[in-house]
Amino acid sequence: MVTLNVNGVECRYGSAKILSDINLEVKPGDFVGILGPNGSGKSTLLKSISRVLKPHGGSILIDKDDIYALKPIDVAKKMAVVPQDSAVGFNFSVMDVVLMGRNPHLGAFQMESPKDVEVARKAMELTNTWHLAGRSIHELSGGERQRVIIARALAQEPKILLLDEPMSHLDIINQLEVMDLVKSLCIQSGLAVLAVIHDLNMAARYCNAVLMLKNGTIFAAGEVEKILTSENIRSVFSVDALVRKNLVTNSLNIIPLSPKKASTEKKCAIHLICGAGTGTMLMKTLVDEGYSVTAGVLNQLDSDYEACEMLKIPVVSEAPFSAINDETYLANLEMICNASMVVLTSVPFGLGNLRNLDATKEALQRGIPVYVIDEVPIESRDFTGGRATALMRDLKVGGAVFVKHPSDLPSLLNVSKDKLAGLLEHTALTGHVKDG
Amino acid sequence: MTGTVETTYKKRSKRWKLTLTTLVIALFVTVILSLNIGYAPISFSEILAVLGNQIPVLNGGIDPNSFTTINQAIIIDIRLPRILAGVIIGAGLAAAGVLYQGVFKNPMADPYVLGVSAGASLGAGLAIVFGAGLSFVGFPIVPTSAFIAALITIFVVYNISRVGTRVPEMTLLLSGIAITIFLSAVFHLLQVIAPSSQLHALVYWLIGGITNVTWSAWWSIFPFILIGIILSYFFSRDLNMIALGEDTAQHLGVNTERTKKILLALGAMMTAAAVSISGLIGFVGLMIPHITRLIIGPDHRILIPASVIVGAIFLVLCDALARIATGAAELPVGVITAMAGGPFFIFLLRRKKLSYRM
Repeated sequence: MVTLNVNGVECRYGSAKILSDINLEVKPGDFVGILGPNGSGKSTLLKSISRVLKPHGGSILIDKDDIYALKPIDVAKKMAVVPQDSAVGFNFSVMDVVLMGRNPHLGAFQMESPKDVEVARKAMELTNTWHLAGRSIHELSGGERQRVIIARALAQEPKILLLDEPMSHLDIINQLEVMDLVKSLCIQSGLAVLAVIHDLNMAARYCNAVLMLKNGTIFAAGEVEKILTSENIRSVFSVDALVRKNLVTNSLNIIPLSPKKASTEKKCAIHLICGAGTGTMLMKTLVDEGYSVTAGVLNQLDSDYEACEMLKIPVVSEAPFSAINDETYLANLEMICNASMVVLTSVPFGLGNLRNLDATKEALQRGIPVYVIDEVPIESRDFTGGRATALMRDLKVGGAVFVKHPSDLPSLLNVSKDKLAGLLEHTALTGHVKDG
Repeated sequence: MTGTVETTYKKRSKRWKLTLTTLVIALFVTVILSLNIGYAPISFSEILAVLGNQIPVLNGGIDPNSFTTINQAIIIDIRLPRILAGVIIGAGLAAAGVLYQGVFKNPMADPYVLGVSAGASLGAGLAIVFGAGLSFVGFPIVPTSAFIAALITIFVVYNISRVGTRVPEMTLLLSGIAITIFLSAVFHLLQVIAPSSQLHALVYWLIGGITNVTWSAWWSIFPFILIGIILSYFFSRDLNMIALGEDTAQHLGVNTERTKKILLALGAMMTAAAVSISGLIGFVGLMIPHITRLIIGPDHRILIPASVIVGAIFLVLCDALARIATGAAELPVGVITAMAGGPFFIFLLRRKKLSYRM
């Protein structure tokens, strides 16, 4: 059982600080992920810890011994590294490469004994590479080679395993198998694992702690659920992401959204009537395009509601699983009146949200243009015994514009405010465009 | 299939011993056969009698009338030193080639590409032109000067190409080429300014190959090459791991930077020893390790000793060919090594592009 301690490590390249004040501890059985954008110092940190790049300050200890005071061979007895780039200079066989993992345990002129061959075979069986043993390392695919390199690291029988983006060459099944393997070694044999991971979902799924690097310092560190928040992800990676608990894997699910384009012009205000996820994509698109978006009425916990929270969209909300009451109905109507137009998505209607259709009809009557996305026929999503269908018919009669697909909408709207007014006149709609 | 792999690996050590034994026998046979080659016809029985007579345990049983004194002189004082020079120079150049190719993970790396040969020959040339007859604390001046110059060259090349604490292969090869061009220019200058009395010795050495090697010249380089080979072998497993990348070697417990420095110096030592008596002999350092690797695989624990013996056999054969080819007017062995080795190497490369054998 070996513990890795990193105390106040600092690395410079010339006068530029690459890393400063890095502290971390990896105990037996820990699986710690290092996260951060490109250039945040992840690889430098791993190089320091793997005794390749001596830090300018601070210390790295394996069980209280400074690794730079130990001989490389004594470090290699306790710590194995799976590097990102695993190109091999000469035409070694897979078996040769894995047997090299036994080097720290061999004497100066000792040949690998049958026992070492056994250790190598077990490592290869664990990583599903034993069938490749006699092949040349150059004949393997990137994924196969990566698994061979992991087998070599396991053949070292390490107490600490460092992984530098271990999955960059692996397909999904191999990613899962390799991570499951490493995790099980963590749990069963008390292996301490420190891994640079790009895939936030993999980190969330396998790590029990993560540290986020930003500009060479630790931005946040601790338990996965406390660190992998959309706020932290936005601060470190400059990306908006939805973070949810996945009920199947019981780990966090991180869904990154495309980076926001800076909208050049302020466009008009659009009110969305949606629900059950039918409006999420549209919200994101409209916000990215520069429209001011509002939404309502949505039940709390509805996925569209969560999207509104994410995107900071003003929303009128109702308690979970509750029908729209007078108060929320009126609040929604007020929001509608402040918008230039209303967009109605193909949301299913039940008695709980039927009043949203009343509000839409009201909007039309007050002269606010209404666009209806009629992707799914109303009959198949009407759970009100025909009342929603009737209201929808009223909307059509009242002059609402029906489109077949949400993607038709932005192009229809992709015009300046003045042109939008003209367009609406042209389509023989009464009403006017209000300021956004 | 994989069961076979396991058995193969468990018996690997035995197989390597067999390979080396075979190669050593082949070397002996090559040496004996090439003793038979030369201007004066001497029969095998006479050669064997002369050789037997040199071995104290056997000489009682050998009839002193079975060979002539002249033939004994030809065998012992002319042919044998020359052939054994082929053995030791072929071995040394091949070993230096293995080290440089291993350290730089590049089949193009060899003493010549890195400028070590040029450094050694400039050192030897300077000693021939300006230091004739001198000696350096008991060591003959030519190999000593060659070694010092080779060591300085590899040190300069290494430091020019160093970035931080690491030596990227690319900058190393480029600076090796630049240094080679520079040193060759200095050598040409040396040829121009050398007094005519020394110019003859310089040209004679430059082209000479191993035609006129004496026992004393042989003994002056033998210990350096022998020690170089033995020390190189100490690092054979480290070289295997360096082939996986320098960082990886470090992760597997190799003190990469120190090992690299030692191996570069050993390569310089063996190259200088060889160059100081033979002049430049191309191909051996570059191609022999490469060919040997294609045949027996990349593991340096077998590659170093096997390349050493293959290099020795190769140079002895080339020298024998040089003696036969043009009768009395013998070709420099360097011409033969290049002409014989090049096509063979291309043939192997084309045929075995794919291959891996242990």
